[in-house]
Amino acid sequence: MSAITFINQYDAQESFDYDRRLRLLRARKVAQTEEKARAGGANEDDYGLIVQDAFIYQLAPNHPNGSIYGYQAWVENYCSVLAQHPLYCDPLDAFVGKGFLFLERLRPKAHKWNPDYPFDDLQVLFDRYNIIHGIDNCHHFTPDLQIGFDLGWGGILDKLKRCRSSKGSAHHEFYDSEITVVEAVIGFLHRMASEIDRLAEEEQNPHLKANLKEMAAVNRHVASEPPRTFREAIQWMCWFSILSRTYNRGSAGGQLDELLRPYYEQDKAHGVLTDEEAVFYLACLFLQDSRYFQLGGPDADGRDMTSALSYLALEAADKINIACNLTIRVHDQLDPAFFRKSVVCLFRNRQGWPRYSSDTALVEGFMNCGYTRDQARKRVAAGCHWMCMPGLEYTMNDTVKINLARVFEVAFHETAVREDARIEDLWQCFNRHLEQAVNATGAGIMHHLKYQTRSQPELILNLFQQNLIEKGVNITDGGANFYNMCIDGSGLAVVIDSFAACEQHVDQKKDITYPALKALLDADFAGAEGQVMQHLLMRSPRFGGGDNPALTWAVRIKDAFTGAVRALCRRYPGIQFIPGFFSWSNTIAFGKAVGATPDGRKSGDPINHGANPNSGFRRDGAVSAMCNAIAAIQPNFGNTAPVQLELDPGIADDEEGIDKMCAMIRAILKSGNTLLNVNIIDGAKILAAHRDPFRFPDLVVRVTGFTAFFAMLSPEFRQLVVDRVKAVNPTLEQPALPDECTLSCPMPIE
Amino acid sequence: MHGLVTEIQRFSLHDGPGIRTTVFLKGCNMQCGWCHNPETISARPSLCYYPDRCIGCGRCVLACPHQAHQMKGTLHVIDRSLCRACGRCAAVCPTEALLMAGTVMTVDEVMREVRQDRVYYDESGGGVTLSGGEVLCQPAFARALIEACCAEGFAVALETNLNAPPAVVADLAQKADLVMFDIKLIDHGAHHKETGAELTTVLENARMLADMGISLIVRTPLIPGVTDQAENVAGIAAFAAKLASVRYYELLNFNPLGASKYASLDLPYAFKDSRPLSPEKLSHLKAVAEAAGITVKVN
Repeated sequence: MSAITFINQYDAQESFDYDRRLRLLRARKVAQTEEKARAGGANEDDYGLIVQDAFIYQLAPNHPNGSIYGYQAWVENYCSVLAQHPLYCDPLDAFVGKGFLFLERLRPKAHKWNPDYPFDDLQVLFDRYNIIHGIDNCHHFTPDLQIGFDLGWGGILDKLKRCRSSKGSAHHEFYDSEITVVEAVIGFLHRMASEIDRLAEEEQNPHLKANLKEMAAVNRHVASEPPRTFREAIQWMCWFSILSRTYNRGSAGGQLDELLRPYYEQDKAHGVLTDEEAVFYLACLFLQDSRYFQLGGPDADGRDMTSALSYLALEAADKINIACNLTIRVHDQLDPAFFRKSVVCLFRNRQGWPRYSSDTALVEGFMNCGYTRDQARKRVAAGCHWMCMPGLEYTMNDTVKINLARVFEVAFHETAVREDARIEDLWQCFNRHLEQAVNATGAGIMHHLKYQTRSQPELILNLFQQNLIEKGVNITDGGANFYNMCIDGSGLAVVIDSFAACEQHVDQKKDITYPALKALLDADFAGAEGQVMQHLLMRSPRFGGGDNPALTWAVRIKDAFTGAVRALCRRYPGIQFIPGFFSWSNTIAFGKAVGATPDGRKSGDPINHGANPNSGFRRDGAVSAMCNAIAAIQPNFGNTAPVQLELDPGIADDEEGIDKMCAMIRAILKSGNTLLNVNIIDGAKILAAHRDPFRFPDLVVRVTGFTAFFAMLSPEFRQLVVDRVKAVNPTLEQPALPDECTLSCPMPIE
Repeated sequence: MHGLVTEIQRFSLHDGPGIRTTVFLKGCNMQCGWCHNPETISARPSLCYYPDRCIGCGRCVLACPHQAHQMKGTLHVIDRSLCRACGRCAAVCPTEALLMAGTVMTVDEVMREVRQDRVYYDESGGGVTLSGGEVLCQPAFARALIEACCAEGFAVALETNLNAPPAVVADLAQKADLVMFDIKLIDHGAHHKETGAELTTVLENARMLADMGISLIVRTPLIPGVTDQAENVAGIAAFAAKLASVRYYELLNFNPLGASKYASLDLPYAFKDSRPLSPEKLSHLKAVAEAAGITVKVN
């Protein structure tokens, strides 16, 4: 176990201001990202993980299949990881801690779920409808970091011990496991503090030595005590992030400006913190991990929470300008200057942040589940497309997806064998299969809730739920206050356009019969006649094309899906099932599972992205038409069907352009949309980066709900992003980019 | 009330203030050789053909009642002398290699499309822009559209060449919130030569609108070798600066995207080798125009 440090890299005479430190830290981050990309990359969040060979952990299985199940094995392995985990320390940074691994991913892929709790009957249906069932998927709900701020690890340990003494033996496995974990955490953090002390002695540069000494003191304190200062609070957050991610990848952030505001205001009042330092600390926080944070939005009384710290957070993100997952909560009272500043950042930096959520649509939707306005307002942006009340609910957000294109395919092939079949027959059949798929998904979620503790208990996030420690049970066993289970539909536009195409060409124009169309799809539009028919089908009314028959189908399908999901609430009382439309990065895999479809899509081609229309939805690619369509299919129960928007930077290259973009964002959210992800992409640059991703190692795009370094993505995924850019910029060609084209870094990299 | 509409473009960011829907009416009364929307010039529907999209299926050959289409091997040939622009070929073309420019629409049909972006107009201070072709070529339809927009509270802008009798111009303009008009050349002879229209009509209409207090934006398309001389820009800027209600003078860089449209109509295009003006030349012309004491924008 050797620490990864960067000690004595600078002469004793060198001085550093905050901007220089950030430039150097950013350059190191870009280099580490390139290394990750060359090591294979990944179609997901950055997570702040780094590639290293100082520490390779070997899982200690407790099952012959090589996996680990239940409290004891997870506790033992996690504590072993912490005992061996080396320190990562950069004297330029304000904070220590980098993640190297996710323990959950060290399990054999085929044996993640405890085989003692099989679900073979459900698996048949999952396979049939290509459902990502979420069984064994962990985290994807939001911890309440305020609990950690209030108690510190030592306080949490005390509380665990206190509660154990008042509970029966049925709860002892929970308490003993959590106590062991927290003791290991505290021991780990003390060891880290001691190592930083040692590094401070070694470091020759006085400026960096002083930083290391302060860093050591901060770490020694937060190892067990609640943070007292702005810097301690952020260091606590950094460690929480590493500890949670190392366990099972979980680490949603929360309402960043409100979480840290008390520390900021207190330190400022005491004269121990300047705004320049605050910006530096926040930039280091963003550098450490790409976790999701929300800024702005209304408090319980509807007053805007934008504060001086909200501005500083934007400024910090602007300075470090990497893969940030910041969400601005837009509401009527949002500080207009703050909103505008965020839009300027979005267009100037072109890194896919921030994104925007609609308070009105989210709150009113969640209230349809029976929650109060106060509760709904606490549901902050915490993941790719999801919101969560920190410390209050268990959600399985973004882990459960039904491939609606596949459900359609099953229904179509069942219906299309009949010469006399009509569109309503297809619709009825689709509804039957949709209901079966949704019911199977609901049953899967219940299976997960029943047995997940025996597969993978939530050892870290359990500690940051309100009243869970008092209850003494894992979060899936009743530890959460609320259960709001997410079920997303994917491939919606494929289904909409397919119904619209069938209606027009089979039922109305009678260009073809259902059996003949089925034969064409089976042949993947092969041959001249197949090609002609494919093009004709593609000219049918499209979702996103405006107020057309496809929009009617869109609403009909949305209502059917929403109704089927909500019906599960009656089947399983006490649990909310909340529908949304999102694909995450499964567009390629879902597409490969579906043959040719009547919208003209060829076999194996990707399904549409999230809730977006298919490419070519409208000749002018009008953003408003696309967003109005997505607004029309919002399920309105508090989860999202996000808009994914690709825009050319040239449309906001002056004050008037920024004004128009501010208006556009407000309009998109006011028209009923819940969440807006925006990429500002220079067409020439994205095409050049697609050809040679390492030419732009710091190019960040918002892939789905998450931002990622473009170079980290697989060629297939890069192509998807390029296709989306082309969809709203039909004239985009393959222009040559000057060789001297520079990186989009706001500060030169040293 | 019917009109001939080339296209309705939603989420338009460059046709006036805010976010707009631009309704392109078909038919123009000038003949500018550089027009980058040649499909809008004829006052009748026009058949456009994009050969790179054609898959040689031959459905157009079967659909055409005038035998205008022929397949010579894999080569699709259109005899324009036989074509009546009836649109039957485009209706059956699976790949949109054949497209009709020009659809007869009612005011209600246009408004159904326009209405969908109400929230975008409200948030941005945008609205509806009537453009062309030349909006003044369909005055009754344009008037009905303006009235329909006003009834729904949508701001209306006109993009026009002001080449019409003053009464027609005044009638439409007084109901609009903004009039954006072109002065392409300030020399009378050159104007007539290049556009086929009298400059006097344009200038008198401009003065009339200014006297009426109607908000104005003056524009000049910068066409290499035709309108991009400093003296031309200076002259137009000097005229514009005297219009009391002018907001600003806008220089529009040459748009090279028209070439494929000319090809799709089998029309010659004299500017196919022309390129947009360099940033340096644009800056120079901007400075020249600003010397007249008017705010100048470049697009």
